[in-house]
Amino acid sequence: MSGTFLGIGDYAVSNEADSVLKTYLGSCVAVILLDPITRTVGMVHIALPDSSLDPSKKELLPGYFADSGIAVLFNKMKEYGFSEKSHKLIVKLVGGASVMSQCDVFNIGLRNVEAAKSILKSMGLHISSEDVGEKYSRSVAIEVDTGKVTVSSPGRGQWDI
Amino acid sequence: MNKKLVNKEIMIAIKSAPLLSPSVYDIIRKIAEPDHSLADVVKIVKHDSALTARLLRVVNSAAFATLDPVNSVDRAISLLGERMVVGLAISESTGNLFHKPLEGYDGKKGDLWSHDLIVAYATRKIAGLAKINIDPELAFTGGLLHDIGKAIISDFLKGTAEELLQSIDKGHVDDYASAEKNFLGVNHQAVGYELAMNWNLPESIQQMILHHHSPAESDDEFKPYVYAVHLGDIISMMSGFGTGTDIMQYNLDQGYEEYFNLKFESIASVMLEIKDKCKRVIGVEDCM
Ligand SMILES: [Fe+2]
Ligand SMILES: [Fe+2]
Repeated sequence: MSGTFLGIGDYAVSNEADSVLKTYLGSCVAVILLDPITRTVGMVHIALPDSSLDPSKKELLPGYFADSGIAVLFNKMKEYGFSEKSHKLIVKLVGGASVMSQCDVFNIGLRNVEAAKSILKSMGLHISSEDVGEKYSRSVAIEVDTGKVTVSSPGRGQWDI
Repeated sequence: MNKKLVNKEIMIAIKSAPLLSPSVYDIIRKIAEPDHSLADVVKIVKHDSALTARLLRVVNSAAFATLDPVNSVDRAISLLGERMVVGLAISESTGNLFHKPLEGYDGKKGDLWSHDLIVAYATRKIAGLAKINIDPELAFTGGLLHDIGKAIISDFLKGTAEELLQSIDKGHVDDYASAEKNFLGVNHQAVGYELAMNWNLPESIQQMILHHHSPAESDDEFKPYVYAVHLGDIISMMSGFGTGTDIMQYNLDQGYEEYFNLKFESIASVMLEIKDKCKRVIGVEDCM
């Protein structure tokens, strides 16, 4: 089994049955797209809600921001054979933990989740399951073969979504 | 568990931790002086042949990819920067201390050192956003050393993670450090502080270690530095760089507003700095 690890702002798409996509999330959010027909899995690791925060970074690292990240992942899924006309993608959302504080400026987790949700909605993509918010960080692993998405958190065990 | 007994064992562990080599100690003292120069650091390094060799090896490694081989200490240090010299010097001279897996936090080998480096760079970046003048190199060094207590306390926390997290979730304690203290009678900041005193580190660094989760309690003189580390630590954990089970289990103290004018964009810029440094300088495996 081969594993691909996604750092902050990375995205990856795979249709290799024996591979696993993984990432680790604090206040970042992972948008996961699953194509049940072509058995293709895509994930982007988003750090910030909006690419207007650093337009130069957007070119270099589109996955860093919710708007450019979801767009680039969606296009990549099409390259792998996904067709909007024939069927729908399964969409999952993970991450966006919040800091233990009342401080609004630091609530990047929530902003990331909200940005991702509104962008997905505007693209007509419906979220089938999510594990977001709360105050703990998460690891995510997706098996390409089965499309199984497993979430874990240090000291809190693991579960599927 | 008998807290007194553990406390005694922890004190023994602190006493038997490796000592800083004299040149590392001198470099840290020098950096804590407000008007030091790079030349002062060069002078210290030149007297330590092992450290000199190590710096030359790093600067000539693929990561720095200079065209011509670098043979002089002066050139090596100006290429690496003061902060890399401190980092390498500390990491080299303390044996396994920064590099062992933190079993008490279910952490992997290398987690502590990469967390420390990331926090150091984040703290340095935050120092640049302060309302008053903060020395970025001193802030960096504080960031590098802030969690050193974990290397000692971890051995006494094996198998406690679930229980400690539950005590936070149930509201019995308000953060992981309080959970540590409940369990052992002491938290990683206090243990790090003991070690820093043993090492005879400057007071500014002692304060950054002792109060990085409780910056309001630090001496006024050092508050800007302590808050810088506090923020650097929180933002690093938000970016996914922790040391295991305690990640994001600490409160943010909003008192930072007196010293830092942070907008959402500034936090974003620190996160971008983390991403940048991670791949280029630190070379963490599974780099986030
Ligand atoms: Fe800490
Ligand atoms: Fe820390």
